[in-house]
Order: sequence, then C-alpha cells, then structure tokens
Amino acid sequence: MTDSYDGPILEIESLSISFFTRLRDIPAVMDFSVKVMPGEAVGLVGESGCGKSTVALGVMRDLGKNGHIVGGSIKFKGQDLGAMSQDQLRSIRGSEIAMIYQEPMASLNPAMKVGKQLMEVPMIHRGSSEKEAHARALQVVKDVKLPDPKRILDAYPHQLSGGQQQRIVIAMALMAEPSLLILDEPTTALDVTVEASVVDLVKELGKKYGTSMLFISHNLGLVLETCDRICVMYSGEAVERGSITDVFDEMKHPYTQALFRSIPLPGADKNARPLRAIPGNFPLPHERPPGCNFGPRCDYFEAGRCDATEIPMTDVPGQDRHATRCLRFQEIDWHAPLGTDVQTTRSEPGDVVLKMDNLKKYYEVAANALFGKRGDTKVVKANETLSFEARESETLAIVGESGCGKSTFAKVLMGLETATDGQILLDNRNIESTSIQDRATQTIADVQMVFQNPFDTLNPSMGVGRQIIRALEVFGIGNSEGERRQRMLELLDLVKLPREFAERMPRQLSGGQKQRVGIARAFAGNARIVVADEPVSALDVSVQAAVTDLLMEIQREQKTTLLFISHDLSIVRYLSDRVLVMYLGHVVELGTTEQVFAPPYHPYTEALLSAVPIADTRVQKRHIVLEGDIPSAMDPPSGCPFQTRCRWKSRVPGHLCEQEVPPMRQMENGHQIKCHLSDRELAEMEPVIQIAAE
Amino acid sequence: MEPLSWFEIITRVLWQFIPVWIALIAVFVVSIRYKRRLGLYGKLFDSTIGMIGFALVMFWVFTGIFGAMDLIVTHDALSQVSGMKNEPPGTPLMRAEDGQYPYYLFGGDNLARDVFSRMIKGAWVVVQIAPLATIFAFMVGITLGLPAGFYGGRLDTFLSFLANLILAFPVILLFYLLVTPEIVATGIPNYMAVVLFIFPIVFIAVLLNSRYRTQPRIRTPLLIGVLGILGWLYLSLISESGSKVSVIPDFLDLFNVPGGILVVFVSVVFVNSPTVFRIVRGLALDIKTRDYVAAAQTRGEGAWYIMLWEILPNARGPLIVDLCLRIGYTTILLGTLGFFGLGLPPESPDWGTTINDGRRLLQIYLHPALVPALSLLSMVLGLNLLADGLREETLRD
Repeated sequence: MTDSYDGPILEIESLSISFFTRLRDIPAVMDFSVKVMPGEAVGLVGESGCGKSTVALGVMRDLGKNGHIVGGSIKFKGQDLGAMSQDQLRSIRGSEIAMIYQEPMASLNPAMKVGKQLMEVPMIHRGSSEKEAHARALQVVKDVKLPDPKRILDAYPHQLSGGQQQRIVIAMALMAEPSLLILDEPTTALDVTVEASVVDLVKELGKKYGTSMLFISHNLGLVLETCDRICVMYSGEAVERGSITDVFDEMKHPYTQALFRSIPLPGADKNARPLRAIPGNFPLPHERPPGCNFGPRCDYFEAGRCDATEIPMTDVPGQDRHATRCLRFQEIDWHAPLGTDVQTTRSEPGDVVLKMDNLKKYYEVAANALFGKRGDTKVVKANETLSFEARESETLAIVGESGCGKSTFAKVLMGLETATDGQILLDNRNIESTSIQDRATQTIADVQMVFQNPFDTLNPSMGVGRQIIRALEVFGIGNSEGERRQRMLELLDLVKLPREFAERMPRQLSGGQKQRVGIARAFAGNARIVVADEPVSALDVSVQAAVTDLLMEIQREQKTTLLFISHDLSIVRYLSDRVLVMYLGHVVELGTTEQVFAPPYHPYTEALLSAVPIADTRVQKRHIVLEGDIPSAMDPPSGCPFQTRCRWKSRVPGHLCEQEVPPMRQMENGHQIKCHLSDRELAEMEPVIQIAAE
Repeated sequence: MEPLSWFEIITRVLWQFIPVWIALIAVFVVSIRYKRRLGLYGKLFDSTIGMIGFALVMFWVFTGIFGAMDLIVTHDALSQVSGMKNEPPGTPLMRAEDGQYPYYLFGGDNLARDVFSRMIKGAWVVVQIAPLATIFAFMVGITLGLPAGFYGGRLDTFLSFLANLILAFPVILLFYLLVTPEIVATGIPNYMAVVLFIFPIVFIAVLLNSRYRTQPRIRTPLLIGVLGILGWLYLSLISESGSKVSVIPDFLDLFNVPGGILVVFVSVVFVNSPTVFRIVRGLALDIKTRDYVAAAQTRGEGAWYIMLWEILPNARGPLIVDLCLRIGYTTILLGTLGFFGLGLPPESPDWGTTINDGRRLLQIYLHPALVPALSLLSMVLGLNLLADGLREETLRD
C-alpha cells in the first residue's frame, strides 16, 4: 500500500445498496456520499433502520448473500474497493480497515485465549514471528489501559468484564495499525461510566495512532464528544453532513432539527418546555414517499414541491463542506422559537403512597447446586438499607448502572421476591413479606410495571387486544367479555394507538407501539404505582420523546406514582421530581432533581453526571473518568461500596472509607448523601455541567 | 396371460394411486394459492425441500387413508392365492375370478399374499400409530418438562435424573421386556398405560383451568364436560376385560385396543417422552427469562398459566420441527419392533413385520422385503425433509 498517500482515506460516492429478498428488492442505502480525511473522525447518526450499519458493511464489502452494491463507488486510499478481488479485500480487512462491533462478547472467540486472538492479527497480515506478535499484543493491551496485561493475555474472553472485552476488541482492531477504524455502536452494550472511559480511550488512541474513524451511533451526545464531522442519515439517505459545530448549532435540515428537539437537553423541562416528538412513523424501505423521504413528517413540507422529484444534496453556502438534502433550507427560519406547544402545570405531589424503610434483600448462593445448602454459601447483598418515600403523582427516578440492585428492588416491590428485612408500606399496610400469590387482586392491580425491552414485553403468540383483556380478566374488571373489550379499546385510546391494533399480533407493531401496549397493560387495573424499568432506553430517540410524554400525560391524569428506573441522566433530569442514586445495592444519594444535579454531589453522582454524553455544544462538562469496573455484588469491597473507584477517597483521613460504610447524611431540605467527606469538602465541589452563556 | 413388463407395472401402479394423486394435487393447489395467509404452514411452500418432504409424507398419509377405505388395494392383504407364492412382480393370477384384479403388481410373498396390497395396508398401521404415539409422548414430555424448566431446583434435578435413567436403558431390551408374555401377565404394561395416559388429561385440565380461572361461570361447566368425556375415553382405553386393569364394565367400554398395539403404544411413549422432556425443559429455561413472563408474574398469574399460555406457545417452532423428526424415528421404531416380531400380531401387514418375513428368503426373492423397506425409507426421508424445511422457514425473517 502507498503510505505516502495523502488524499481522503475513505471516499464514498453516491453509494446505493439494495437487499434482494423473496418478495421484493429493498433499497437500504441510496445516493450516499461521505469523505473521511486522514486522522479525521466522522460520525454517522440516525435511527435504527436508516442504513448506517449497511454503509459500514458496504465498506467492508461484507453484505451477505442478499446485499449488493447497485451504484456508486467506495474508494479506500484512492483504490476502488468494488473492483477488488476477494483476496485483495482479505488483505485489507483487519489490517488497513478494522471494525469494532456493538456486542464485544460476540466479536471474540470464546474458545481461544485473548492473547492468541490478538497475536493472530500480525501473524496473518504481516507474517510476524510469534515472539514479535506477542510483544506487540502486550504493547497494545497496555495501550488500551488494561491492568495486568500479562494476565489478560492469558485469559479467556468470558473471564473479562464487558468493558474489558470491548477494550480487547479495540486492541485487536489496533494490532495492525489500520488507517481506518469503523466503530458500529461500540458502547451501546456498556454502562455509562464504562462507556465514558471507552470513548475516552478511542479518542486518545485515534490521536496517538493517527487513525481515521467512522463512528456509527444513534447517540448524538456521543458523536459530539468523539467526532470532528457528522453525517445524519434518514431512511437510507444522508440528509445533512458537515462539521460538528455547523450541524449542531446551525442545522439546515428539518430532520436534524426535529431530532434535536426530541432529546432532553439540559434546558428542557417537562412542564415549561416539553420535548417534541417527531410525528408519524419511520417509513418502511418499500413504502418510501416520493420526493423527500422526510416529507410526510416534516413541519415545513410544501406539497407539489417537496414530493415532486428526488432531492439532491446541496452545499450550504459560506460553510465548510456543509451540505443538506432540503429544497427549502434557505427559506426556513431556523431560529424560530417553538410556539404553539401546550404548557402544562406542574402537578403537586399528594400523600405518601409508598414507603420503604430499611429494606434489605440478600440472596444466598449455594456453592453446590445439587446437594443444597451443605456446601459453602455466599450471601449476595442485592439491596442494603433502602429507605425512601414516594407520594401520589410524583415521579421518583432510580438511577444506577447494571448490578446496582434496582431490578431486585423492583422485584421485591412487585412481590416476586420477599424482603430479607425492613418494611414496604403501601398505604400503611406492610407488603414486604407477602409474595404475589398471596396479595389481594387490588394490591396487585395497584402496583404494576412497564418493562425495558419492547421486543420482549409482549407475548409474541397472542394478539394485542387479547393480552390487554387478559390483564383486565385477572384484575377482575368488567363483568362480561363485551365490557372488557370496550375497556380494552378505551385503553388503546389512552395510549394513542388506533383501535384496529387490537386485532394485530405483536410482530406487526414497531418498538414504540409495543411499548405503548405495555403501558396500556400496566394501567389496565388503574394502577396507582407504576414501576417503569428503563421504558424508553431501547427505543429510537424520536420515539423516546413520544413514549415519555405519553407516560407523563397518563401520570398527570391518573395521579400515578411513577418509579422511573433509568441510567440515562438526561431523561431523568427532564421528567423526575426526585432522584435516588444507587450503587451496589446502596442508596448513595437522594434528593429533589435540583439538589442531585447540583453540588454537593456524592462522588459517584458526580462521575455519573460527567459520563453522560450531552448533545449540546454549549454545555461544558468537567471531565471525570472512573477507573476500573463496577465490583461484583458477590464480592463487594469493604467499607464504602464506591471506595474502589472514588477520586475523593484520599481526602478522608485514616482509611475510614475502607473500613466503615458511611452513614446517610442529612443535608438541607431532605437531601441525603451517603459519604464520609466532611461538610467543607462537600461544599467545595464544583458543578459538573455548565451551560455557556448564549 | 403374460407377466407384465416393468413399464406396464409402473403404469398400473401409478393408475392404482389415482385417488392419492388427486388429493395431493388438491392440497398443493389450495395451499400454494393461499400460502401467504397460512402462517408457518404456508411458508413451507416457499422451500423446495419442505415441499418435497411434505409431498412424500402426504403421499403416505393419503395412501394410508384411502388404503383403509379399500380404494387402492388390489387384493385382500391377508388372503392367500394359490400358486402366487414368491412370484416376481407383475405375475398374473392363475385363475382370476370375476372382479378380482388379475395381477400381483409387486409379486407375492412367501405365503402367497399380494405384496402391493400389504404395503398399502402397512402404511395405514404406520400412519395411525406413529403420529398418535408421538403426540402422546409430547404431552407427557411437555407436562413434565415445563415445570422442571420453570421451577428449576430439586424438582428439575429429580425429573432430569429420571429422564436420564430411562434414556440410559437400552431401548430394544426394554421392548423385549415389555412384550414378554410373563411381564404382560403381571400387568406392568397396563399399569404403565394407566400412568402415561393420565398426562394428556392433566395437561388439558390445567390448560383450561389456568385460562378460565378468573371466570368460574365458564370454567366449571367447561371443565366438567371436557374432563367427563376425556375420563371416559381414558377409562375405555386402559380398561380391558380379562387383563389386570379392568375397571369399568364392558357395556361402558367404548373400544378395546388390542393388547399388542397398547404395548407398542406404551413403549413408544415411554422411550420418546424423556427426550421431549429435555427439549421442553431447555426451551422453558430460556423463555422464562423474557419480559412477558415477568409481566404475567407481576399481574399475579399462576405458574401453570405462565407455563402453558406464555411459554409453551412461544416454544412451538422448535417443538413442531422436533415432532416431525420424532414421528420419523417412531416410524423406524415401529419397523424395528415389527422386525423383531414384538407387539404387533405376526400376520400384521405393517412394514417392519413384512421386512422380517421377507428377510428369510432375501437371497432368492428380493421383492417381498424390498418394497416395504423402500416405503419405510421414503416416508422417514419425507418426514426429515419436512422437518428441515420447517426449520429453515422458522429461522427465516
């Protein structure tokens, strides 16, 4: 390869890719162009199904049996990839272009030691000796900042945590010092704080090795943090591309604008400035409208013009390589404020409905599963001294990463598990040791749950209407099949789904629609407390806003208490009244949203706030990266659960953090923090997020 | 009369099968026309392999049904015609009477019976027993596998151990034991029937009860009605005057299953259910972690509702594929049983018995054994191809 080449690393020119299926040809990508210069990071953003991953696979020429490039060209360092033979491609893949996939465990061979997998790369592509390859592997593992590289090289993938696995995948991609790195949602499967450190690493390595990057993501905030340029895709087409600042601050395509209006940025507020969901649905690839694909959902749509012809990419005058696929971009007033939005009044929290007092849930894990408890038993403390109150029509957010015990808490509240100790009071009645079989129907109907994964929340072999009717039957609502049917249709109205959906099967619904059915089912028995377990995290950004708003609206009408479990602090800040932060089974901070999002923080909250990517160029964040991974609940650290990763630990005298679990400290106005830091040090904390003055 | 040439034999055989061809064409035309509306069954017609398998299977099913209606057969499967012993295919009858088919199309066997007609009649035996026995095995496997997978723990350990125990026992030896007259006399096969056949009733009762438990007005009469009928069928099935299990008087006994068939049935269910148990248990372990199961739990559904209405319907894909494969194995098993002369009466036209009969003179006369052997082969091949096609289609999109 010519190393002196200094043109663009990757140049995609009006690329079109189609998939050929039994029924029809599906155009997945149309007229797509992008240029990646040396050392540049380009973000590719869009909702699921917009064709961003197809572009990546097209670059790797790995489209499978059905996919074919039907037009355009992909040039890598000036050579046309489309004209290359399989042999030539093989020598480029892995050595010149490397790809990092979403699921780290799926990209590593589980039967092969990590070191061996890493060493394969230089041995195959460069014919290095085993010794050289080993030395290189060691070097790269050090570069990706894994502790104890020798031990890691000798481990099997399943012995590493998710974050470590993803680092190994990155290391593998870097083994051959590629010129181009394609990252397909590399951090979606990771926790926020781990994500932040991986993103940091990618950025740093990109600089160190001078690698160009194509970064595919649905998360605008992440792209803002990592990339120089951005390309927004919608329904198979690039709709806008330009530098990060141009696109984020002076967007010139209605879809980009709608996308930004539907994500909760720091200024958003559920009452004063609610989110705006994009109306309508994403068009299916074979049902795309004529002319502009975004036309039917666009506020600025002009019949007879926008739907007349195919719309070309047009350069925005006066800006560097900024182009948009909109005919009217020069006519639209991009700074017009969002008028006409309904403003709602804040609903006042009522009486205490639910009270947790010192709730504890321990699991005993037997070492020997077959012969019961004779062997060693280990106690996993999933929830430790959980205390809080929730009031009527209040939204209480429970924030924490995987393994923090929020799901266990939900299970205990629902009655799927019984508490080890402590109390749960629902309307002053103890329910902590009543399992769900023994609960009264009314109690069960009162406490309901909305689940995380929309593709998993409905039984795939039962009709939508039938599933809601079943919930009504179980809750004893309606005296006849006809009455229940009527009520089911009303519930569909409540979640704003057309009544015809009653007859559909879940697979005919989109993710957002399924989630709405899930919400309807939870409210079937007029639930008073709804536990929403990350209800929108698996949905696309534009759908998230709609589902969130729906939940808020139903809550306002029915005065429901909403326990909103999430790891996404942006959405938590947007919709919750009070926030509870959990770490390894402990509540580390509890307070109103304003209190938690402003100093003094618990050190973990501080890191969490810094880790969340925010898609706003005005926001300045302090950079706090947590070292290491979340400790296992099987083997928690001594003393304060957070002490292994805390950057404030040295400020506490006499190793107190390692010896004692800190007490819950009462700050002003009911704000509680579980930390050993002195009042003075807590008061010295600076805000993590600051919005630059406009 | 001259013996028929091979060409004439083939033409005449194809002509005999006319009702089967008509039925097959009708099924295919209707299915292909409406295939988009028929779900998984309709998708089968997108796969060539699946269609070939389905055609082979349906060919034998229709042959069995029409054969039982005496449509295809040329002679009585049990009667002997003198002078036809071991005659080659296409031999004319010595003294054909009026209305009697004048040829043995596939020749005669060592007792001078018509090989062609015995093949057709044998298909009926297989088509009757194999699917039914397999379905019974599935009901037993499902009724035990679901709780094992769902509850886990000691119940699972115990049931899995039991299943392994049965699987570890040599199948043929088990059959020999079960059909030994001394063992039959002790009533063990009858008692096993009593136990094994109770599972379908438990299965259906739990299925209906869990579905309608919230509406007692519908549930109670429904359960009484269904259980009454099923109970009567059950008692008629297991009760046989003269055997160890004779619980109801003869005038109430709806039907009597010949002892031999009952034994075959029991053995097939007994050896097949542990494998089904393991498949169902594995599927239940996987599906119980889904959110819709959690959703059912959080609205207070009973364990059996979750197992039968939330888990089982979503395990149907792999189970249907396995059902097809397993009917194939059962067909082979029936052949093996017949071959060893176990269970079915010696003059039975089923394929296994016929192959065994033909085996003795295999070196001189090939056709009496070859015809049933090829039938068995094509039917099992058809079932395997059908299972392959189904698997391929369930995995697609």
